[in-house]
Amino acid sequence: MFKELDPILHAPLRLAVISLLLSVKEAEFTFIKEKTNSTAGNLSVQISKLKEAAYIDVTKQFRNNYPLTICKITPKGVDAFENYVKALQSYMHLNN
Amino acid sequence: MEEEKFSEKESLKLITEMIQKAKHSFHENGTSAILWGSVIGIAGLVNFAELYWHFYIGFDVWLIVMAAIIPQVFISIRKSKQKQVVTHIEGVMDTIWIVYGISIFALMFYFNIVPGVTDKFVALEGTSIIQTNANGTTQPFHFFPLSYGSLLLMLYAIPTLTTGIVHKFKPMFWAAILCYIFFIISCFTSTAYDMLLNGLAGIFNWFIPGLILRRKFYGQKKAVNV
Repeated sequence: MFKELDPILHAPLRLAVISLLLSVKEAEFTFIKEKTNSTAGNLSVQISKLKEAAYIDVTKQFRNNYPLTICKITPKGVDAFENYVKALQSYMHLNN
Repeated sequence: MEEEKFSEKESLKLITEMIQKAKHSFHENGTSAILWGSVIGIAGLVNFAELYWHFYIGFDVWLIVMAAIIPQVFISIRKSKQKQVVTHIEGVMDTIWIVYGISIFALMFYFNIVPGVTDKFVALEGTSIIQTNANGTTQPFHFFPLSYGSLLLMLYAIPTLTTGIVHKFKPMFWAAILCYIFFIISCFTSTAYDMLLNGLAGIFNWFIPGLILRRKFYGQKKAVNV
């Protein structure tokens, strides 16, 4: 019996964001945008979805009068990612 | 990247790719290392010259280490403003260097306070220790920290070796090993040579690795901009 893939994570941009945030302590919106090669609008939407699922924490600040968005993965996000990878592995074994 | 569904293999490929991208997001320009390396290097070498050739520059040269805190604050503020990402390793390494800074100042406090306190406790016990000089004259003996330069050398090596191992940065790794060798040598040498070893440790541990980091940093930046 294989696990169902988490629909929140099983979308390219959201998975890219979570994978990136898993590897760092925190990252700015511009950094995520650059590394994922995404547009600001699309990224904002996906970040909001991850935030709604409580997979990431989003902090908004100002630096030199410019808005600054800092994202950080939550423990719930880490658990979700681990479960997602386990589910992926079970799919891969099934297909081999 | 649009929101479309994708295969399990593509998922794993994407995860690996993102982790690799995050891994290569650490960039250090070496400014702090150059600052502290030059300050400790100058203080150690000048102090050695003072003790070896018997002259005094008019103030305690180690005070420049205290003065270096001011530019370091500006460097740290500028760095935090430019930084788009903080990696887990970076967070831990920053903590190690802060703890090292606190420990250095704690050790300075110890060097300045403990001898005087020891003198007082000895006097309270009603004991007086008299020092007889080579020419036969006597004077009250005052306690002093023994081979304090050795303790500083040992402390320098701790964060340097950790950084060298964690970042797989050979110049800092080998400089820290050299620093431990300096520590052993300094246990057998006079204060003048201990200061020389302190100065050399500053140059090898931070100044030279800082220059290497700086060259790498601007080399990478140039490559990106081409």
